[in-house]
Amino acid sequence: MSGTVCSSGAVTQAQRAVEQLRLEAATERIKISKAATELMLYCQENCRQDPLLSGVPASANPFKDKKTCILL
Amino acid sequence: MGELEQLRQEAELLKKQIEEARKGVADTTLAELTSGIEVVGRVQMKTRRTLRGHLAKIYALHWSTDSRLMVSASQDGKLIVWDTYTTNKVNAIPLRSSWVMTCAYAPSGNFVACGGLDNMCSIYNLKTRDGNVKVSRELTAHSGYLSCCRFLNDNEIITSSGDTTCAVWDIETGTQKTVFMGHTGDCMSLAVSPDLNLFISGACDWSAKLWDLRDGNCRQTFIGHESDINAICFFPSGNAICTGSDDATCKLYDLRSDQELTSYSQESIICGITSISMSRSGRMILAGYDDFNCNIWDTLKAERIGECSSEPGHSDLIMEPLSILLFQVWTDCSLPPLLLSGVLAGHDNRVSCIGVNEDGMAAATGSWDSFLKIWN
Repeated sequence: MSGTVCSSGAVTQAQRAVEQLRLEAATERIKISKAATELMLYCQENCRQDPLLSGVPASANPFKDKKTCILL
Repeated sequence: MGELEQLRQEAELLKKQIEEARKGVADTTLAELTSGIEVVGRVQMKTRRTLRGHLAKIYALHWSTDSRLMVSASQDGKLIVWDTYTTNKVNAIPLRSSWVMTCAYAPSGNFVACGGLDNMCSIYNLKTRDGNVKVSRELTAHSGYLSCCRFLNDNEIITSSGDTTCAVWDIETGTQKTVFMGHTGDCMSLAVSPDLNLFISGACDWSAKLWDLRDGNCRQTFIGHESDINAICFFPSGNAICTGSDDATCKLYDLRSDQELTSYSQESIICGITSISMSRSGRMILAGYDDFNCNIWDTLKAERIGECSSEPGHSDLIMEPLSILLFQVWTDCSLPPLLLSGVLAGHDNRVSCIGVNEDGMAAATGSWDSFLKIWN
């Protein structure tokens, strides 16, 4: 028997860690080929709704530069 | 063999099992899959608005779901709600504690929240009958600083803390409904999934965790970073997450294949990431760094495609002290110290926070130079 004294706190913590790892090990995983392809598809399908990506025409840009007033 | 040693060995075995399972589904790489597509063209965003009024470092910002209003938090002890279209300050809320680290806008637009070294999350009602913004709740229970908070709705908010836990609160009763334990380092950042069923947290234990709001469990843990994770966000579909770390890299993790897909880094970039956000299609990652910049990455090709950089020259530099003076008088009827110019000196604009609004029309950055900028 080793001389190390183990507190019940450390054991409980280690038990929790193992339980959590068991849970995570049981995760269902899908292949990267499928998962990443779907991410690419999402980008493609939404690129036109992405103003920062596709650019914003000045007329549709609520943040367009404020122009100075001209007295006519 | 002692029980502790037995458990430690079992833990190591399970970790190896997880590693093997991840390898088992790694039938290709993101780089291979995207080899046939072009990199996004160089992105050049311009500052469209500069929001002036804070007197000290800005630590956090959060857009309202209307994509127009925004709340910012500064260690000058104020929360400011901005109309970003006009740059008008809709509300200037003096805080009881100036050590604020995070702020959030409720999806309804009715509340904002903030917190920091006071270990509390304070909720403010913006829509009181008499028009004065008031503290409606102070959520206390965390034993460490509040690093981040996000509303689920007007009555529930999620917080992350330096005490290594995250929590969901019932705001009405001021109590924690669920506490999420598992991180072994300070929780630095959190983000809620688009479907509101899950959230992710990034921590100083170098890991990101996916939590289920329905049962309180940690579903998945993502490793790979070699230092603290300071920033985290969801890919818009909710199937992937993006992290930013002190190890000078951002990473993309896919939730369904349970692993890192790619890393965003460059040899010339050696400083940590403070903040992260994605464009509406998920094709661009905007990351704020410890130096003065914000880099934009092509999510799929893992290449840097641009940055938000300040335009040289400030033509209205002379007007700034006056506008800040007027604002200070307006908010608390005090005259600021004569050394106002100290606030403007140096223009050390370390980007501390970043956010893309919901309609994807603009990115906002907040800086230690006390200004916020709106870009597109």
